[in-house]
Amino acid sequence: MSFEPKILGIACNWCTYTGADLAGTTRLEYPQNLRVVRVMCSSRINPSFIFRAFQLGADGVLVGGCHPGDCHYNTGNLYARRRLAVTRKILEFAGIEPGRFRVEWISASEGNKFAEVVTEFTRQIKNLGPQNKFKISQ
Amino acid sequence: MTSSFKSIEENLKAEAGKLLESGRVEIVLAYGRGYDENHPMPFVAKHPSDVANMVFNEYCIHNLARYLVRYPRGTKIAVAVKAADCRAVIQLIQEEKIKRDDVVFLGIPVYGMKNPKTGEIIDSKTTCGMYNPVLYDVLLGEEVHGQKIVSPYDVLADYEAMDKEARWAFWKKEFDRCIRCYACRKACPMCYCDPCFIDQSKPRWGDKSPQSHGNLMYHLTRFHHLAGRCIDCGECSRACPVDIPLYLFHKKVAKECEEMFGQAAGMSIDDKPALVNFRVDDSDKILE
Amino acid sequence: MSRIGVFVCHCGLNIAKTVRVSELAQFAATLPDVVVAKDYKFMCSTPGQEMIANDIKQHKLDRIIVTACSPLMHEQTFRKVLAASGLNQYLLTIVNIREQVSWVTHDIEEGTAKAKALLNGAVYRARLLAPLTSRVIDVNPDVMVIGAGIAGIQAALELANTGKKVYLVEKNSTIGGHMAQFDKTFPTLDCSACILTPKMDSILQHKNITMLTSCEVSEVKGFVGNFDITIRQKARYVDHGKCNACLACTEKCPGKGVSEWDEGLVKRKAIYIPFPQAVPQKPVIDRDSCTFFKKGKCRLCEKVCEQKAIDFDQQDTFIQVKAGAVILATGYDLMDTKPLIQYGYGKYPGVYNALEVERLFNSAGPTGGKVTMRDGREPQAIAVLHCIGSRDKNNSEHCSRVCCMYSLKFAHLFKEKTSADVYQFYIDMRAAGKGYEEFYNRIIGEDVKFIRGKGARVAQSPDEEGRLIVEAEDTITGKFIKVPVDMVVLSPAMVPRADSRDIARLFNLSTDKQGFFMERHPKLAPLSTMSEGIFIAGVCQSPKDIPDTVAQANGAAAEALTIVVKDKMELEATTAMVNPASCCACQNCVRVCPYGAPFFNESKGVSEINEALCKGCGLCASVCPSSAIIARHFTNDQVLAEMEGLMEF
Repeated sequence: MSFEPKILGIACNWCTYTGADLAGTTRLEYPQNLRVVRVMCSSRINPSFIFRAFQLGADGVLVGGCHPGDCHYNTGNLYARRRLAVTRKILEFAGIEPGRFRVEWISASEGNKFAEVVTEFTRQIKNLGPQNKFKISQ
Repeated sequence: MTSSFKSIEENLKAEAGKLLESGRVEIVLAYGRGYDENHPMPFVAKHPSDVANMVFNEYCIHNLARYLVRYPRGTKIAVAVKAADCRAVIQLIQEEKIKRDDVVFLGIPVYGMKNPKTGEIIDSKTTCGMYNPVLYDVLLGEEVHGQKIVSPYDVLADYEAMDKEARWAFWKKEFDRCIRCYACRKACPMCYCDPCFIDQSKPRWGDKSPQSHGNLMYHLTRFHHLAGRCIDCGECSRACPVDIPLYLFHKKVAKECEEMFGQAAGMSIDDKPALVNFRVDDSDKILE
Repeated sequence: MSRIGVFVCHCGLNIAKTVRVSELAQFAATLPDVVVAKDYKFMCSTPGQEMIANDIKQHKLDRIIVTACSPLMHEQTFRKVLAASGLNQYLLTIVNIREQVSWVTHDIEEGTAKAKALLNGAVYRARLLAPLTSRVIDVNPDVMVIGAGIAGIQAALELANTGKKVYLVEKNSTIGGHMAQFDKTFPTLDCSACILTPKMDSILQHKNITMLTSCEVSEVKGFVGNFDITIRQKARYVDHGKCNACLACTEKCPGKGVSEWDEGLVKRKAIYIPFPQAVPQKPVIDRDSCTFFKKGKCRLCEKVCEQKAIDFDQQDTFIQVKAGAVILATGYDLMDTKPLIQYGYGKYPGVYNALEVERLFNSAGPTGGKVTMRDGREPQAIAVLHCIGSRDKNNSEHCSRVCCMYSLKFAHLFKEKTSADVYQFYIDMRAAGKGYEEFYNRIIGEDVKFIRGKGARVAQSPDEEGRLIVEAEDTITGKFIKVPVDMVVLSPAMVPRADSRDIARLFNLSTDKQGFFMERHPKLAPLSTMSEGIFIAGVCQSPKDIPDTVAQANGAAAEALTIVVKDKMELEATTAMVNPASCCACQNCVRVCPYGAPFFNESKGVSEINEALCKGCGLCASVCPSSAIIARHFTNDQVLAEMEGLMEF
């Protein structure tokens, strides 16, 4: 059986989650490996959520927020950009492939982009194979 | 050495005495004699007569900024600071833990500091590539000039060259040795949270016993919490009873932060901590 | 232990086609704390809702999970079901298996597997949900309207007519805005002043309206229902309480300033009213052109004023106003066309911008309504250049929407008032609006020459002094043409007020790339903003014509009314709070909050959050190193539990 990765998505309510809904409304197909947690803003994402996701066995983590400048809360994603960039560097230095963690700005009107990103990211994670470094073995 | 340790010690005693006598400060944080010459300890002078017990030598490596936040807000304190320590105080001022007016910087320009445990010279590991305090009210010796300045990040080269598998193997081995004594956060001048996130039970971020996944969560999150704030004093690594080279990870994060945000921790009291700040023109490249 | 009910919707075949819904319900029944799990054809239908309500009672459920469409569709519907059944509405969780599962796959295996994982996450999260209650606060019944152009005037009148008290704030010394500068309005060509000045007068007379001219907002505190706004009233050096508007002062005044009202085409006195129908009809002194302020003597106005209203010692004053809601109607500026050197504005006296031409047409304007140029000549040939700076990647990308129509209006008025040839240089003609296409056709019939091509350059004619050459590519013939004219009219982009970003900052609004205020939703909430209780109307939101502006003003008034009509209001329940026992006093929350909700309580040594200001984004919770901040409904443990559930399958 081919490797079916588990991908955790964390999406902001106003842009990316709504964009994901739009992908559905327009019936765009994409791989079903992604499971999305809805938060109000990408800035809600605590760096530890990401570390935890990999410990829980996520093979990849995809964060979606509003485009910089369009944040529903004015500046939330501008903080998120810095904080998640550092999270990524920490993962990388600890030995996690940087390709396993991605941040994308996807607006409410970018259903297409959402589907494309998920498709492409899923392919990438499949290529990287299972993530076993952080995963807590039962 | 531009000024001898002895002359710095004399100046320290003199200045501390003056400050206490005049009532300018209530407390002077400096160094005192430990169980022998090679093991000085942090020392608190509250009375002018206390200053006679102060010492300064190449083993006075502690970052005394750690102790500033233990006093009530508004306490007038003078603190002896080497280059990295000075940056810690500046960072604490940025974070409004202390006010500039409440603290007197007794700046110590120095190099050749030695780890009392190993006797090795720790400059390249910890002095942030500098020997002179970036800010001081009183300077306790002549500024150091002509000494070779190395990048604080040079020591990272070997680790950066490792591939991801080797890096993971390296850090897994190191973190697995952690006994969760929390000496690192106790020694860290920037770790002032009480309680620390890892001690919380709701949510329980990670296992509290020294298990590898709890250790990983504790250390990685702590690196994030110190990102843009760590001033590279190296106290965490020296405090560690099992010698985990935490300073390497902190340096790496500091290096990345400096590159991404154009700002190193604790360099100016007018800066804002980089991770609770943004620029509209921050590049999306930092996420790539 | 919670008692969870799971309700799986088929949504007809929308979900059932690619998710095995009954299998999903059976799976749900095996999950921890799930007491009842059912599937049904349409959960949002009345029988579906009744099923949930009955099960809440019968099984004493305390958590409800609806596995159906997006929460953005029906979260409110099902929250009401919970509330009606005596259950706190925040104990509802929606699992989105339509938009994010069944509609994005054709594979029923994959769809069912993903739906199970999502449901499992929801069960984990639901167990940790807490009931939330909204705080209720008193609402100040008054409204502030900022900007007294046609949008602000209209909104203020509508609100005042409902009996609400309105503060109308205007930075100029008269109300009226740009519309008062116009001569005629398209497409009906009715006189602007004739339709506007009665409204201006109504503002003055209305007992519910407090008009604050020469005023600007300097500080905004508070929140929806309870704004506390500081207004700075600039010194006018005339006591408007004493002045009886005899205007003797303006006749005697020797000072000369540039008339802003007439777009700098003429001079005005130093003590002046901007135009004859100004409201209030009371003069102000311009310090920069006043002889007394410049040279220390004169005071002629003071001598002729029988009311002793002149007060050279007057200072700026600060006025505190409380309001429950605010409408921003701050309008626009015309783009400064000087930097577009290819058009020669400011270099060739024959080049005008649109507002200057409006004043030339106006009978109360600098030329008394005659079209004469700066050199006194009547033009024999006139070119009107559309889209100057608009629809231009290098300047303003947007279409300014009204320029086509007013440029046609100019053509008509030029034809009416002069014997000149009139050329229109346009990219394409945008005439969407009631009566606009008809107006366009009418102007075509008036011997106006239309050249489909954007004016590329205006140059001095090498042959005739004072004549200009307009260069363009005629895109119909594909030929490059040069048209000699006497007068060039630029129709520049409408851009946000120079201080729009400052205003946005004061009221915590977002702006778009240009600086126009961002609406809450481009389609479904075009008049409200992300700042609760702050509404926008007119061109400050985006360029639009007078009918649209008036419609928006009425709409914004109605929106503001929905707030101030109630004496109490509920605040957002999904706010953040600080657990003081865990606060490490790092003040990160205070530093990052876009709304200034957290503040540091010095005496307690901990941060606190003003929940009335909190919008629930959760940023503070993620920057809190000691996990002291609880982002209600999205707490750390709720998110972690959901993640755990999602990753289990």
